[in-house]
Amino acid sequence: MNDAIAQLIFLFIKAILMSVLVVTMVAFIIFYERKFAGFFQGRVGPTYLGPSGAFQSFGDIFKLLSKEDLIPARSDKMVFKLAPYIIFVPAFLIMAVLPFGPVGGSPNLFGYRFDYVIANFDSALVLFLAMGGIAVYGVVLAGWSSNNNFSLLGGLRAGAQMISYELAMGFSVVGVILMAGSMSLVTIVDKQSGNFWDWFWAPQLVGGIIFFISTLAELNRTPFDLAEAEQELVAGYLTEYSGMRWGLFMFAEYVNLVVISAIVATLYFGGWHAPFTVLDFIPGPIWLFLKIAVMVFIYMWVRWTIFRYRYNQLMSMGWKVLLPLSILNLAITAIVIVIVG
Amino acid sequence: MGLKDIVKKAAFVDILRGMSVTGTYFVVDKVTVEYPKEKLQAYPRFRGIHALLTDPDTGDAKCVACMLCPTICPSQCIHVEGEETPDGRSHAKSFDLDLARCIFCGLCEEVCPVAAIVMTSFYEGSTYDKRDFLLDKEALMANQKYAHKEVFVRLAGTRPQAPPVTAEPFKGLSASKPAAMAAEPGRAAAAATSAAADEAPAGAPAAQAPAATPEGEGR
Repeated sequence: MNDAIAQLIFLFIKAILMSVLVVTMVAFIIFYERKFAGFFQGRVGPTYLGPSGAFQSFGDIFKLLSKEDLIPARSDKMVFKLAPYIIFVPAFLIMAVLPFGPVGGSPNLFGYRFDYVIANFDSALVLFLAMGGIAVYGVVLAGWSSNNNFSLLGGLRAGAQMISYELAMGFSVVGVILMAGSMSLVTIVDKQSGNFWDWFWAPQLVGGIIFFISTLAELNRTPFDLAEAEQELVAGYLTEYSGMRWGLFMFAEYVNLVVISAIVATLYFGGWHAPFTVLDFIPGPIWLFLKIAVMVFIYMWVRWTIFRYRYNQLMSMGWKVLLPLSILNLAITAIVIVIVG
Repeated sequence: MGLKDIVKKAAFVDILRGMSVTGTYFVVDKVTVEYPKEKLQAYPRFRGIHALLTDPDTGDAKCVACMLCPTICPSQCIHVEGEETPDGRSHAKSFDLDLARCIFCGLCEEVCPVAAIVMTSFYEGSTYDKRDFLLDKEALMANQKYAHKEVFVRLAGTRPQAPPVTAEPFKGLSASKPAAMAAEPGRAAAAATSAAADEAPAGAPAAQAPAATPEGEGR
């Protein structure tokens, strides 16, 4: 068996394993979101299904599958059916470029080289930003095809919001690209090897905070969930969706949450590296998993604490604060890198 | 916007303060009472479903059929028929109470001269059959196992037949999640078994109720 065939087999294994793991994680993250929502409000959350309610998500899935598949009579039916997948697929595609362990080097598995990444290519971050851009289409098309005023307003808001914040997100990421000298996530992680003070969060503190805030907007989570503001827009672009079609949106939202948590961990918190070099004996995937878990918890904490921004506040913050700050961050990073060498 | 505000916003002061509040709630004890599993302790003067107390001397209800409670009842849900027993007492031949009409005002308990009808701590009266809302004398006497223990404290010393009870002092709702409350069996099951499970003093009237009722109904 030559190396190419071995790599192909590894590729299938990695692709399937990663998807299955993330889907399992998402099922439990939805449970933890509800549990923690209760905890943050002094309640207990779901408790009945499974040990302290742990199988709640599976109950939800069966419930959603058993519901009638309702499509509004005057909707654009093809686009209405397509929209959930436009959000769903890009969320999974980003996983391909996520390194979850060491890449390259000597053969390490049955005499073959096992890379802990599905696709190692140079413009991984561009793929991440592009997939985020495509996901906007899903929201906008869902709102448009529903033929419902609330849905349309939600879709429009989501479009405007995501485009505004993607700019700031893109500029803040460039700081990391400059420091690593590459857009490949594998290289970015390799440049952060060492203890936790060698990670990019310290030199890129401002950029990291801007990136984090932008991802909140990208994920459509509070305080930036204007697209589905219940109090104003019923459920925004989700208004006409029900059953498992709605479930797909929900599912994609949480897959996105996992993936973007992983991206934040990779860009600013050393990816699969241990916080101290003495802890390197623990495998990389475990560290990445822990970092994802912590990031997801922080996202939940923010969601259940901060209220929704008004639309004009959202826009003025995106354009007047985050965008100039991210450009300034980029300029200062570039100058410092040129001076220091 | 002054410099102070800008610094405040840049350092996320307000947001961090908010997150510390929710973070505190994350770790403190939860306020949820998971109802079917755990129940709140009813306050001593809680007006739950009624009960007729038993006179330990005769085994019959203490009611003397004075007709004060049907008279004062604002919703006219109590119907009493009195008669004289062979030994010359006045007692209630039948005592019917329609819970569907009752407004749980507690006036019947206040007006009762012999402390026969009392409001209990029992509040889980939901049913699939509205005929269950019609309580007869037997059902009302079976309900006395739910009577507030404070009732017996109040009666102790005033009348010789009242069971000598020392009730546990009411601890308030915060101390209200003991397993004992949660383990209390359902209404139907409790009618047969709870006498033994109750504390000895409170169990005294309840233990006599099943034995007493066939005799009372037989006449």
